[in-house]
Amino acid sequence: MNGAHDLGGMDGLGPIDYEVDEPVFHAEWERRVFALTVAMGFYGAWNIDMSRHARERTPAAEYLSSSYYEIWLSGLERLLDEGGLLTRAEIDARAAALRAEEN
Amino acid sequence: MPALLAKDAPAQLRKGGSARVAPKGLTEAPAKFAPGDRVVVRNLNPPGHTRAPRYIRCKTGTIDRDHGTFVFPDTHAHGKGPSPQHVYSVRFTAREVWGDDASPRDAIYIDLWDDYLESAQG
Repeated sequence: MNGAHDLGGMDGLGPIDYEVDEPVFHAEWERRVFALTVAMGFYGAWNIDMSRHARERTPAAEYLSSSYYEIWLSGLERLLDEGGLLTRAEIDARAAALRAEEN
Repeated sequence: MPALLAKDAPAQLRKGGSARVAPKGLTEAPAKFAPGDRVVVRNLNPPGHTRAPRYIRCKTGTIDRDHGTFVFPDTHAHGKGPSPQHVYSVRFTAREVWGDDASPRDAIYIDLWDDYLESAQG
């Protein structure tokens, strides 16, 4: 698909911000999103190409304004929803409950 | 693919995965091209998944290396089977890709599947 992920040769995205001693994860939630994605991959409901395509299908404007692991989370939620493992409403309800716990 | 048991996870993660067909017990496919062949990338605009970057469509390059037989992501991403086929490292000059203002010395190598390519005329 001619999606926002196909960035090669695109201008207007600004300079690449190189970090010295860049950590693998910039926040604890990123570590968790990565682990969830890998663990669900081993569950066997989809293959790696399906999960790449799920990330690509993040709406273009959202894709370009999302961080790397936000895109991974978007793809995982799409696969869970489409695969009938969790509904979008269940994901949103859980996120709202966790947000309420924090406050 | 069977679900992974927790006890097997550390070993599996260390080993990683591969899209090569041999470890999956799939049959090797015949290669359509050989190193040195001139190829042009087909003008593919599939609504689904592809690993052919947009900027390389319709560009002409040279097969640099044959990596062997791999699962084809364009079908595999849609549950249409692995369609095993050869993947090549294809060399494109920077000027072929980006025009006359690009460096005459630079080139880009892109891994491309057999179904993305056709023989370049002349």
